[in-house]
Amino acid sequence: MSARERILGRLRAVVSGARIDGREARVAERIARAPKAAVPHQAASAGTARMTLFMTKVEAAAGTVGRVSAMAELPKALAHELRRRNLPAVARVGAEPAFAGLDWGSIELSRGVGRIEEPVTLSRAEFGLAETGTLALASGPDNPVTLTFLGETHFVVLREADLCGGFEDFWAAWRARGLDPRTINLVTGPSRSADIGQVLQLGAHGPVALHVFIVADPGDIVVPPT
Amino acid sequence: MTMHVPTTPEFKANAHAALGNANLQAALRGSRGNFVAKRAKARAALPEFDDLRDRARDLKNAVLADLDLYLEAYERQVTASGGHVHWAETAEDAQRIVLEICRAAGAATVNKGKTMIGEECAINDALAAAGITPVETDLGEYIVQLRGEIPSHIIAPAVHVTVPEVEAEFRKAHTHLPPERDLSDLAELLREARGVLRAKYFEAEVGITGANMLIAETGHSVIVTNEGNGDLSQSLPRVHIVMASLEKIVPTLEDAATILRVLARSATGQEMSVYTTFSRGPRRAGDPDGPEEYHVVLLDNGRSGMLGSDFQDMLRCIRCGACMNHCPVYQAVGGHAYGWVYPGPMGAVLTPALIGVEAGGQLPNASTFCGRCEAVCPMRIPLPAMMRSWREREFAKHLTPGAVRYGLGIWAYVASRPALYRIATKVAVAALRLLGRGTIRALPFGGGWTGERDFPSPQGGTFMAQWKARR
Amino acid sequence: MKLQGKPMPAPRVALFVTCLVDMFRPSVGFATVKLLKDAGCVVEVPEAQTCCGQPAWNSGDRETAKGFARRVIAAFEGYDYVVAPSGSCAATLAKDYAAMFEMGDPWRERASAFGARSHEITSFLTDVLGVNAVAQEARVVATYHDSCSGLRSLGVKAQPRALLGSVTGLELREMAEAEVCCGFGGTFCVKYPEISNVMVGDKTRNVAATGAALLLAGDLGCLMNMAGKASREGRAFRARHVVEVLAGDMAGPAIGDAK
Repeated sequence: MSARERILGRLRAVVSGARIDGREARVAERIARAPKAAVPHQAASAGTARMTLFMTKVEAAAGTVGRVSAMAELPKALAHELRRRNLPAVARVGAEPAFAGLDWGSIELSRGVGRIEEPVTLSRAEFGLAETGTLALASGPDNPVTLTFLGETHFVVLREADLCGGFEDFWAAWRARGLDPRTINLVTGPSRSADIGQVLQLGAHGPVALHVFIVADPGDIVVPPT
Repeated sequence: MTMHVPTTPEFKANAHAALGNANLQAALRGSRGNFVAKRAKARAALPEFDDLRDRARDLKNAVLADLDLYLEAYERQVTASGGHVHWAETAEDAQRIVLEICRAAGAATVNKGKTMIGEECAINDALAAAGITPVETDLGEYIVQLRGEIPSHIIAPAVHVTVPEVEAEFRKAHTHLPPERDLSDLAELLREARGVLRAKYFEAEVGITGANMLIAETGHSVIVTNEGNGDLSQSLPRVHIVMASLEKIVPTLEDAATILRVLARSATGQEMSVYTTFSRGPRRAGDPDGPEEYHVVLLDNGRSGMLGSDFQDMLRCIRCGACMNHCPVYQAVGGHAYGWVYPGPMGAVLTPALIGVEAGGQLPNASTFCGRCEAVCPMRIPLPAMMRSWREREFAKHLTPGAVRYGLGIWAYVASRPALYRIATKVAVAALRLLGRGTIRALPFGGGWTGERDFPSPQGGTFMAQWKARR
Repeated sequence: MKLQGKPMPAPRVALFVTCLVDMFRPSVGFATVKLLKDAGCVVEVPEAQTCCGQPAWNSGDRETAKGFARRVIAAFEGYDYVVAPSGSCAATLAKDYAAMFEMGDPWRERASAFGARSHEITSFLTDVLGVNAVAQEARVVATYHDSCSGLRSLGVKAQPRALLGSVTGLELREMAEAEVCCGFGGTFCVKYPEISNVMVGDKTRNVAATGAALLLAGDLGCLMNMAGKASREGRAFRARHVVEVLAGDMAGPAIGDAK
């Protein structure tokens, strides 16, 4: 008998006296049904209230956020932020299709994974959660996960239509989009730690600063169910 | 194999040392009330908070009722996504499995995200003994590693360390940096740690993280962090190992959301931690980064024994640390006094279950049963009742100190005989009044009290005698 | 008297005086009786009472604890209510007794029914009898310590404060960390005296910081612990049981005072 069998055997002996019948159906049903606990009011915003809540929460988490009228305006918005923050006119990106074909002007874009020195990274989030000002990023060639964590300043693009109220509609939209990345990164503000003297500081290992561009470009995105 | 040898039987001596440790007391005073205020604020801002605690309790109880099947469902998903599940009955088994994976990967160094299961299995010691260097990347864990200690709090590992002590450790360890550099600023200390650890992220062949949750529906492991070190530890190396105990399973992504809503709020007062990461298997075909191998080590180490026992509810714990943040005993002596991996109220219940009541039994005794821990536990775990259950087991095994047993025996004998009790109380009251009226400065056999406190003397007579006289 | 607006026969209340009140401060027992009588109760004091058994229960000696429970339940059956001037003893009666007996043991049912009739004094006055004021005067600044069992097992928090609020001239100032344990904990203070001392030192510091002249609480164990520490420290404030103020019994010496 393997360790696996011994462990499961011990668990089964307690739970049902080694009988499984009936329980397998119960477990399968519970997983498939995926019941929602009561949705907090905070997770049920809609319309302009949702946008306002999201932006408030991002700022409360020490992130910054701005609205961009269309994806075509993104390079100008990014250039403005880089100048404002005294950052070099560079950005590291993945193969994200939304960034291809844009006129980046004087910003020098490089494509690839995160490197040990990475002043600026740019990613696109699949979804946002207004409930907590959270971005949901999918790892992969379009938005390599190391860009999320190695950038000194991380810029993230979120399409307006991809802003969800909270976890419940987010998971529904996520499943509907049929994604299966290696990691789903839920990001809320820049990296921080209070481990030195219990004083909160930003930029522990991940980005020191996080900026969200909310782009009002419908594109060809499926509107997530509300 | 190397293991943290528990010093829990020496809790009283540990506590004595802790109370006399000026640096520790300064650190504890500085952090005291901080987490308490933050949690209260977060709770006040979410009207559904207490309802979510009930839901979280209920969903965890549902999992425990079918834990074997949820684990199998989880395993199927991990395997389907290209990952490997390893089952470890004991901490030694977990060490062996992790070492095998690390050797096969040719690892010279291993990056560690914060994992309490790793501490429980003394994985750093096992790696070091095998010639593999473990590098703690969580800032608090890094500081603790430099000091040769184990964490003193399950989410704030270095809460017991003062800022001057951090500076001293950095100067001692980072000898490649100019000794005359200015480290008087907290930001300088952070920047230094960030720089030192950044290089290490790119060196390791293996990254080990814990898991706050394992999701049966999808096979995800979830880590909840603020620094980003756990994410760098799993994304840059070739191999990602997750160390998790059996009870971390939740059924679905929606259930994970319920837990997440109460976890960070209970721990630090945040609505969400900065990084909540769901990991599923190794990198996908075409991924430019991410690990090539994904292993999950599922640890039993006593959990299966807790199922179906008086201590089953402890398996609901999500390791938020709220209990110890609110515990006046923990706040007085800090985490190391508890003598093993898990401190505070959750440690008092879990430690005897994992290392035996003979070794761990001191901890559930060091409680006034004030109940503040249970009042703030997001999973509604009845901690004082379980500590009492441990005391019951100790009493049955005659582990209770002889003096206590004897005293209780006398009390029970007298108090079960009302007529005798009346006489005894009358005598006791008179005797105490002989020692002093108003206040007594020194009690014979009562040095524990009168060492630092006066003892109020009885008013005179007993209520029962006076009541009888007035009839 | 009336209960919730309906005329009722006077409730028959059995006083569970508690071993600490019986031995150390009988006046608290008499103040409790006065409050109950003023509220229209008939009060009796079962002769066979000694201790609720909490020390045995908390020390893990279930069999001895069950013995105490059976004796108390038997001695106190036949009354409408059982009332104690102590949150921890009332919690033992109201909650722990039922938990001591196994499912299926007939004593479990009996203990449960008994527990449903058992109360701490201030919450009994407000929640059961509907008393929300006492006709007393006390020109003093006071602060109130929430004893743990009363607070967390029985929900005693607002009730003593409501009653104190009705005392003319009494100013109640809340201390920092009013809900944090004072370090008494029954046997804890003798098993872990060093830690207990730190906890009670924090408590007396918080009390003193309010500037209150009077520390009040509903549990004599806590009060003796805090008064004893305050006395050793030479603190100015005095300690009394809350029923002493509510019953207008402030003439006698405070806890730990000779006069």
